[in-house]
Amino acid sequence: MSESAAKTESTILFGGSQEKGGANGSVRLRFKEVLQLPLEAEVLSPDVVGSLSRDEILKLPVLLGSRRFPLSDFFDVEGERSRCLELQGNLAKVKLIGHGMTAGSIVIHGNAGMHLGASMSGGSIIVHGNAADWLGAEMSGGAIHVHGNAGGQVGAAYRGSLKGMRGGAILIDGAAGIEVAMRMRRGLICIRGPVGDFAGLQMRGGTLFLCGKAGIRTGAWMSRGTIIAMEPLKLLPTFIYACTYEPDFVRLLLRQLRDSGMPDLGPKWNYRVQRYSGDTSGLGKGEILVCAPAALQ
Amino acid sequence: MVVVDVRRTPSVRVADIFLQIRPGKDFEVITALRALIKGRRINAESLAETGLTLEQLQDLVDRMKRARFGAIFFGMGVTMTRGKYMNASALLTLGVEMTQFTRFVAMPLRGHGNVTGADAVTTWMTAYPFGIDFSRGYPRYNPGEFTAVDLLVRGDVDAVMVLAADPGATMPGPAIDHLKRVPTIVLDPKITHTSRLARVHITTAPTGICAPGTVYRMDEVPFQLRPALQSPYPTDEQVIKRIQAMINARLSSRRSPVAADALQMRGTRD
Repeated sequence: MSESAAKTESTILFGGSQEKGGANGSVRLRFKEVLQLPLEAEVLSPDVVGSLSRDEILKLPVLLGSRRFPLSDFFDVEGERSRCLELQGNLAKVKLIGHGMTAGSIVIHGNAGMHLGASMSGGSIIVHGNAADWLGAEMSGGAIHVHGNAGGQVGAAYRGSLKGMRGGAILIDGAAGIEVAMRMRRGLICIRGPVGDFAGLQMRGGTLFLCGKAGIRTGAWMSRGTIIAMEPLKLLPTFIYACTYEPDFVRLLLRQLRDSGMPDLGPKWNYRVQRYSGDTSGLGKGEILVCAPAALQ
Repeated sequence: MVVVDVRRTPSVRVADIFLQIRPGKDFEVITALRALIKGRRINAESLAETGLTLEQLQDLVDRMKRARFGAIFFGMGVTMTRGKYMNASALLTLGVEMTQFTRFVAMPLRGHGNVTGADAVTTWMTAYPFGIDFSRGYPRYNPGEFTAVDLLVRGDVDAVMVLAADPGATMPGPAIDHLKRVPTIVLDPKITHTSRLARVHITTAPTGICAPGTVYRMDEVPFQLRPALQSPYPTDEQVIKRIQAMINARLSSRRSPVAADALQMRGTRD
């Protein structure tokens, strides 16, 4: 398969099955304008659109400020009755796309707004552009692949909630913001570019793979879970060096990431990692695996 | 009394111990303290970057545990520097965890304009202290998404009403630029920085001096205030109620489905 084909098809992303359009093709929605105010459009989900005719899709309600408008005010729609959605345009201010989706697929040619794929439990989302904050927050299954950058709180728990992402996978080719994987419980997040402060904050499980540089306070207050850092890290005083070893799962994880359409993960390293355990201010069963030999003090 | 700060402040003169930490290391020190009070290990080498030694922190922990009633007070040096709410969260958590050993409290020293009162009232009315969105007719809470500074920086609002605050003096440049772009209405007893860039300034009677009301002390104890002086200006409450009545009248005269919908939203909010 050529590289471009791999990008558009994106094969199978960690169990988030990529449905083909089938007899009905896909539902294509073209965003008509550039928005100043955020639009809340949780109806842009395969679960909602999948069984509707084109007329019904056009009448779906979206929220601008405190007022409801029909979807047709903002989108041109082609196709109907398909669980494959294709969105086109700069949707950077369109929030809640794919919220709570259970199956099907969304492909976005452009940027996406906050809460993309939040609380989703199945299906796949591919963004050929940037995503914003709260990408895949509290998701429990399915997969998201962002080819550009993402905002903060990727796969995080909402304020006051005890568990963030509970399953599935989030792959980001670019950078991400602060508090990535906050209170994550299960699943995989892989970020190729740099991330902000507090990556893996209060993590409870799952795997956070950081290929780029991380801000300060990575893994703060984590109780369980694994953070893999390919670049040297500044660690909190509450992380204690445990050992240097070669865990097999890292090799397998890298192969799986490559097969999922993630670009080549940069310079080769010999899979030797330094294991730090913490955060000792809490349960302390989390681990940070630092790959770069420069971190060997 | 133990003072922890990045520089010698006037408070240091009356302190028994002064711990000078490097700027931006609050979270690291507090997290290390949380580990030490539980008798856990910490990395002394990494701790050295905070400007404090393990011995100093261990001594502090021993003193905290010996106290019969300890109190942690903190200000904007903690809450407004890198890490922001997580620094405050760390101190509050430390306060909670200290109660396993002795009586302990942690309390922010709040700024002017009765911030504590605003937090207390919105919390009992909506369950959330700030960063609340009412656009769906019920309160939603998400700092970073619905907080004023973030809404302004992203340009997510097309009108602003400012009450008991002066964002024009304190907020970052992009937020101030957006205040200038959209219609901004300021209610304040005096001309503020925000008034100068606002479309409309309405002078109101100063609460507590010319207008009666309730203020909340920093420990959230409410006080009723009687006005000491008369003012020719209306109170904040009177101005807002009049604006609200005029909006409602205009919306109901239009009788469009959109207006009815908006009115309904408003009704559930009140």
